[in-house]
Amino acid sequence: MRSIEAKGLTKDFKVYQSRSGLKGAFRDLLNRKYRMIRAVDHINLSIEQGEIVGYIGENGAGKSTTIKMLTGILEPTSGTLQVNGYDPHREREQFVRTIGVVFGQRSQLWWDIAVRESFRLLKKLYRIPDDSYRQHLDRLVEVLEIGSFLDQPVRKLSLGQRMRCELAAALLHRPRLLFLDEPTIGLDVLVKENIRHFLKQVNKEYGTTILLTTHDLSDIEALCSRVVMLDQGKIIYDGDLERLRSQWGDGRRLILELKDEISLSALNERSHGLALRWEGEGTRFVAHMENGTGVSDVLSRLVPAVTVREMKIEEATTEDIVRRIYREGITHHA
Amino acid sequence: MFYVRLFFHYWMQYLKIRMEYRSDFFVQLVTDLMFQGVNLVFIIVVFSHTADLSGWSREEVIFIYGYFLVPFSLFASFFNLWDFNERYIIKGELDRVLTRPAHSLFQVILETMTPESLSGGITGLLVMGWAGWKMGLELSWYDPLLFILFVLGGGAIYAGIYILLTSISLFSDSKTDIQPIMFNVGNYGRYPVDVYNKVIRTVLTWVIPFAFVGFYPASFFLNEERWMTLALLTPVVGLVWLYLGIKVWNWGIRNYRGAGN
Repeated sequence: MRSIEAKGLTKDFKVYQSRSGLKGAFRDLLNRKYRMIRAVDHINLSIEQGEIVGYIGENGAGKSTTIKMLTGILEPTSGTLQVNGYDPHREREQFVRTIGVVFGQRSQLWWDIAVRESFRLLKKLYRIPDDSYRQHLDRLVEVLEIGSFLDQPVRKLSLGQRMRCELAAALLHRPRLLFLDEPTIGLDVLVKENIRHFLKQVNKEYGTTILLTTHDLSDIEALCSRVVMLDQGKIIYDGDLERLRSQWGDGRRLILELKDEISLSALNERSHGLALRWEGEGTRFVAHMENGTGVSDVLSRLVPAVTVREMKIEEATTEDIVRRIYREGITHHA
Repeated sequence: MFYVRLFFHYWMQYLKIRMEYRSDFFVQLVTDLMFQGVNLVFIIVVFSHTADLSGWSREEVIFIYGYFLVPFSLFASFFNLWDFNERYIIKGELDRVLTRPAHSLFQVILETMTPESLSGGITGLLVMGWAGWKMGLELSWYDPLLFILFVLGGGAIYAGIYILLTSISLFSDSKTDIQPIMFNVGNYGRYPVDVYNKVIRTVLTWVIPFAFVGFYPASFFLNEERWMTLALLTPVVGLVWLYLGIKVWNWGIRNYRGAGN
């Protein structure tokens, strides 16, 4: 069974506009003007059991609206949606037992009671049998290393400690699908690393499908084999990270520090026929190389005439790529 | 059964939280008791100045007032929906509630209940007992049973009306001032309805039936023949309003727009 199967998934919001002044307020009372905003626009998404998928997009691109439809919080305006074999909104109460949710900016735990008590309440809510609960909790406590503060109330935990407890809470009932919304926001590097490691382990061990939204693209690089990118309510990219890189990475940059000064035109002349563009002056130059152009090709052309003192090869980071896509739109390249 | 057990667990957790701040808990308890005491004195002082109220003796009026406090305390304990808009809609707590496998309204009630408000019910019982004793009121064997039914019915009416009003937040997160207005209207149920004119009487009976929370059932125990049928209707009216409230809530959940980011 597929974890997520969405066809033509759409969500419209009515946005009321208020007219100005007292007269406007009266007119609003009788006849409110509104316009429709399409937050999610005919999305087709199919995710197999066991995949880890990164869901990215700018603020307001429709990410959270999609997640809220997938988790059963919102009802779609149109389109069909099956998650874990359920209609998330209509069959909400049965459905949510098969998913786990972590919203990084909002606690799933009870603020005032000890973590352990929160877990106990969740056990009751999800009707987890005693033995299976104890066994699974022990394992989670061990792997996430949360044993030492299980008896403290959530409000006394640090962000990193809380996040680990949130993960344990979301996994207590062994969901087949885990939604993570900004799971590493505000965490330090080491904790981030641990959490990523843990998620990989969960995915491998239990075959849990993970859908991750994040602004931190290093999360995506570390975890996801597949990326879905959203812009203005539409999916603009769905595929593996490697392809995104090669399509959009625009090759590499070769940064050179030369011994003697040389003119730009002289360099252009030397590299004639190679797919690259020079930039710089004096002794510092940058070669923007298109895909397929090798560093060795460039160097073999230069070496007979100029002495290279220092050189560095830079590859575009995923962040650069994504930023570019947002700026230029995907159509530009496709 | 699941919901009963869940209720019990939330209750235990609530007590634990309250006990954790032990001093706070006792201070609250003392304040509550003092508040109820002041309330009691206030009722007696105010009513001792009115000899009778359009045919109702002072004791009868006090009895009705005392009765009203019982279903009202039930409502105040479990339907603390005052800051629903702020806490659940604007701060987005409802999103969390909706990702859990139990009815959303039930979860909200469990998360916001303040069982200590039940102390108001004890005051109500004391007031009723005192007034009844003064009047030499006699109880039949079925009176306690009917009392429980009527109190549940009255609580359900209050709950239904407030659930309905709270559900408005699910459609639009703009503030409405209907709740405090309704709260004031609710107070009319504590007095004999024949002191009001016909319009208000009809409204309190058939439109927003607060008269069923206090007056009608209380008059039943005062052996008033005139409102006997209406009094017996209390549980039915309660069920109807609770049903309506839950229906509108469910409808609202389908229209819920999510917390704005």
